[in-house]
Amino acid sequence: MALPPLDVARLTGDITLDHLMAASPGEFVPLPSDLAPALAEALRRRGMERLYSHQAKAWEAARGGRHLVVVTPTASGKTLCYNLPVLQRILESPQARALYLFPTKALAQDQMVELGEMASHLPLRLKVHTYDGDTPPGQRTAIREAGHIVLTNPDMLHTGILPHHTKWRRLFSGLEYVVVDEIHTYRGVFGSQVANVIRRLKRICAFYGSSPQFLCASATIANPRQLAEDLLEEEDMVLVDRSGAPRGERRLVFYNPPLINRSLGVRRSSVLEACRVASPWIKAGIQTIAFCRSRLTVEVMVSYLQQSLGPSLDSHRKVRGYRGGYLPLRRREIEAGLRDGSVVGVVSTNALELGVDIGSLQAAVLVGYPGTIASTWQQLGRAGRRSGSIAVFVASSAPLDQFIVRHPEYFLASNPEEGLIDPDNLLVQAGHLQAALFELPFAEQENFGRADVGELLELFAEDGSANLSAGRYHWNRDAFPAEAVNLRRLLADNVVIIDTSQARPEVIGEIDQFSAPTMLHEEAIYLQDGAQYHVDRLDWGEKKAYLHPVNVDHYTTALNSLQVKVLDRFGGPLGEGFDSSHGEVKITSLATVFKKVRFHTHENIGSGPISLPEQTLHTTAWWTSLDERVATTVARDEMEAGLQGLAHSLRHVASLRLMCDPRDLGAVAEVRSPFTHRPTVTVYEVYAGGVGYAGRLHEIHLELLRSAADLIQGCPCENGCPSCIGPLHQVQGAKSACLQLLYANALPA
Amino acid sequence: MPPTSIRERLASLRGGSRPAPPADPGRRRLPAGFEAQETELGIAWRWAEVLPIGRLRPGPPHDLLGGIDPDGFSFVDTETTGLAGGTGTYAFTVAIARPHPHGIELVQLFLPEPGDEPAFLRALDSELRLTPGIATYNGGSFDLPLLRTRWTLNRMPGELAVGVHLDLLHLSRALLRPRIGSCTLKSVEERLLGFEREGDIAGELIPQCYFDFLRSGWSRDLEVALEHNRQDVLSLQHLLHRLLRRVRGQDSSMEACDWLALARWLQRRRNRPAAWRAYRVASEMNDGDASLDAELVLARRKAVLLEWRLRDPGAALRVVERALERIGPDPDLLKRRRRLSDRVDRANHPMKGAEAFAFADQRGESLQDLGIEGLPRLVAQALGSL
Repeated sequence: MALPPLDVARLTGDITLDHLMAASPGEFVPLPSDLAPALAEALRRRGMERLYSHQAKAWEAARGGRHLVVVTPTASGKTLCYNLPVLQRILESPQARALYLFPTKALAQDQMVELGEMASHLPLRLKVHTYDGDTPPGQRTAIREAGHIVLTNPDMLHTGILPHHTKWRRLFSGLEYVVVDEIHTYRGVFGSQVANVIRRLKRICAFYGSSPQFLCASATIANPRQLAEDLLEEEDMVLVDRSGAPRGERRLVFYNPPLINRSLGVRRSSVLEACRVASPWIKAGIQTIAFCRSRLTVEVMVSYLQQSLGPSLDSHRKVRGYRGGYLPLRRREIEAGLRDGSVVGVVSTNALELGVDIGSLQAAVLVGYPGTIASTWQQLGRAGRRSGSIAVFVASSAPLDQFIVRHPEYFLASNPEEGLIDPDNLLVQAGHLQAALFELPFAEQENFGRADVGELLELFAEDGSANLSAGRYHWNRDAFPAEAVNLRRLLADNVVIIDTSQARPEVIGEIDQFSAPTMLHEEAIYLQDGAQYHVDRLDWGEKKAYLHPVNVDHYTTALNSLQVKVLDRFGGPLGEGFDSSHGEVKITSLATVFKKVRFHTHENIGSGPISLPEQTLHTTAWWTSLDERVATTVARDEMEAGLQGLAHSLRHVASLRLMCDPRDLGAVAEVRSPFTHRPTVTVYEVYAGGVGYAGRLHEIHLELLRSAADLIQGCPCENGCPSCIGPLHQVQGAKSACLQLLYANALPA
Repeated sequence: MPPTSIRERLASLRGGSRPAPPADPGRRRLPAGFEAQETELGIAWRWAEVLPIGRLRPGPPHDLLGGIDPDGFSFVDTETTGLAGGTGTYAFTVAIARPHPHGIELVQLFLPEPGDEPAFLRALDSELRLTPGIATYNGGSFDLPLLRTRWTLNRMPGELAVGVHLDLLHLSRALLRPRIGSCTLKSVEERLLGFEREGDIAGELIPQCYFDFLRSGWSRDLEVALEHNRQDVLSLQHLLHRLLRRVRGQDSSMEACDWLALARWLQRRRNRPAAWRAYRVASEMNDGDASLDAELVLARRKAVLLEWRLRDPGAALRVVERALERIGPDPDLLKRRRRLSDRVDRANHPMKGAEAFAFADQRGESLQDLGIEGLPRLVAQALGSL
């Protein structure tokens, strides 16, 4: 069967990868002999006479009472891996209960439909309900009392279920399975928070005498079992990661748009290039999905594609956008259109990356690097027709995009990313410990999950939020502690970003208080989703920034004096040349002035003062410093420019490895650090206390330095550009200084 | 220097705010008058007194009370560590007032520390068993779910003994809202029962009194909070008495709006004859909008009965016209008048046979069609009460 064609002649940039992945016939096994006949019958009615081998492995492990994590590609029948054992158990014992956790409401709703279809063939009135913010109050009691399977999200479990557990007695006393799907999304701060929600869940289960088995599913990451074990604090989880689902032949192409300004590293718009790739397919009726990084680019690309089709082709029905903010009904309609073929092209944000059922398409275009290899595989996997499919990644000028597109081998090596969490981040833990204390008193010697929290409980007692009585700590405040904790961020005092251009002002995002002065000061040009906004007013007391969209030829950059104070060293120094350490630091940041800089020419066209209070951040960091003897051989200004560039590139390659947003990390370059007394680059976590990134960076520091060198050296710019060493450092010789520092000191050439 | 204590570390992570000073727990001094009471789950602390106040005579049982004599109710109220709800909020005191041969017996239980909760709940359970019913103020949504949650949380066997439960908040809202708006117990006391408390404490400050007591072993305001709690149940006892008098229409201070509220409440409870009587009283008082509202309800009902049951559109029309004169141009009455006068006109002009049949078909059988001349008993009764 022919793959969708790619007209290479139309593409004037570089094709850096053209890789053919062979088809796989799949591995099938008969339905398990211990599968309940009713369930087997239900499967047959849906056309399933056999299972994929990974589904059978999952079945065996789940039936054997083991905790389980399944890692297989998109559309490989992952949900059956947990649905089968759960349904079988409920058939055996109608008192049994299961709790399903999905990162979003939409996924939970999807699963409800799926389970409902399965259940319609079963001799049992299976009660499956979603329970989230949209659940009508009138239905809640019935769900608490009688729901066999409750589908919810971690946020709802955190504030809506656990603190009211006595109303959920039936669920918790009968709870046998907890399904955690899309487990790879629970990493970083969010994952660390969710790990603590799980600690609370297990505590409540223990109170009601249940000890549920965890069935997890994940997209491909390097350490799914590790992440699951950290998240659930369980050992010896069974990992099922060999997919038995058949796969068609797949062609994977990486494409770097042509340079239009070599010295500045500016390339042709990835959106335009992606349209060039996708529109011939859509014209030919080949079902295509395009993934954009932002809602705004989704809209832009949809209109380009519709235009390129011309009005005669019913283009408004054939090419659709799909993103957060669309009403559920519209989303369902598009999903159905994709399944039945009436929608030929869909342009989506990562909203379609997770398990929403849209069938398999023939072609995928990724407009810009999705940020992680896991997401990239998820998105590429949307094109997976048995008859053969094609996926093209079109790089933007961003550093990560450029690194990936020029190092496809790095990408194909396939498993460099890890999901990291730190459930013992003190701030995270303290918040959840209060919530847990509210839910059930703590015995004096009781641990919270694996954590020894004796000291924290004593502290709560001293501060009056807990009372030690009859050997147990009791919550003692007129407050609902779970409400003070937002799972998706660390501290409550983020600055909220409000777009005032609409009749109804809209919150478009938020930024942590530490970073806000440099990004949201008055008159700043703030970039989000590829759009420019002008900050009209920053109300620091209320933590609100008011802005409106603009289209200007400049950006702003704040001069920010950052100081690093090392409080404690946990590890290192290791190595020579650039040595490596990690530990606890206090970062002080004071933004003083900002400059307006014209795009392309980089001329300074204005400036202004910033008068906002100094910010401090207590966090963890990894730092690398340069041998003093070597340091003397490099001129001071070159040293400075080189270190700055290194800081920029290290921050980006670090975020690549850690599977986090580059904005989760900050970097500081110091020509002479007061702590190491040497030229030093520090990469710190912007979340107070850190979530375990710094320690990991220390472990892989050589690889990091090597990747940074690859990124800088491979960049075709002359003196450094935003794609490699950052926008601010276009001092003559900065790039070479950077490379000189790296090769002379750290890396074997 | 790295911050060493966990207190300093937390404060520093939160952005450098100064750590709170540690507590200084002194010796705990139990509030006056509480005595130890042995239970199988430990010591509970109980205060009891018989107040020789004149017995209120609430009269015979009422269907409102679930068949229980009004003397069969205990009046119960809790003070808690918060109003947020959820499992972590608990009651630290409960006051109970119940009838006694020599007046009213007032009992209060106090929880000196959270670890003693099983004994506290056990003692409460025994107190509640003494009467077949309990009356609360918003207990249905607040006090009882909270106590039941704590019962579960402390792994107490069985369930907390709550017989028939009467929530006086609901009844107060139904009968008093037009008069006093928000029905907090405070506003009910001031505007219905006619007294104001002195030296009382605001409800939202009460949790803190208890926390202060736990922290420092003594709290000046705790005694005030306990007194507040006792006062609450005495008010409840008084309130039920007053509300029952209203329900029976025996409260001489009732104005038209009170009668109207009573009528509506009776109607919701499907006690129609009593409801119509109450509407009539409200209407006849001739006292502002409430009387007119009552008149409107009555006129509509009368018109319906006259027109459809008695087949007398002329009489219905007269009722509507009288009501319009009194109430003014009410849109519904105007519409009704239009239709009725059409009908009366048509009746004055003999219909052709076909029309007469069509008319009969529309409504199905009617009394006259069936040849019944006398009125069925129920209709006669309903009309009699108008």
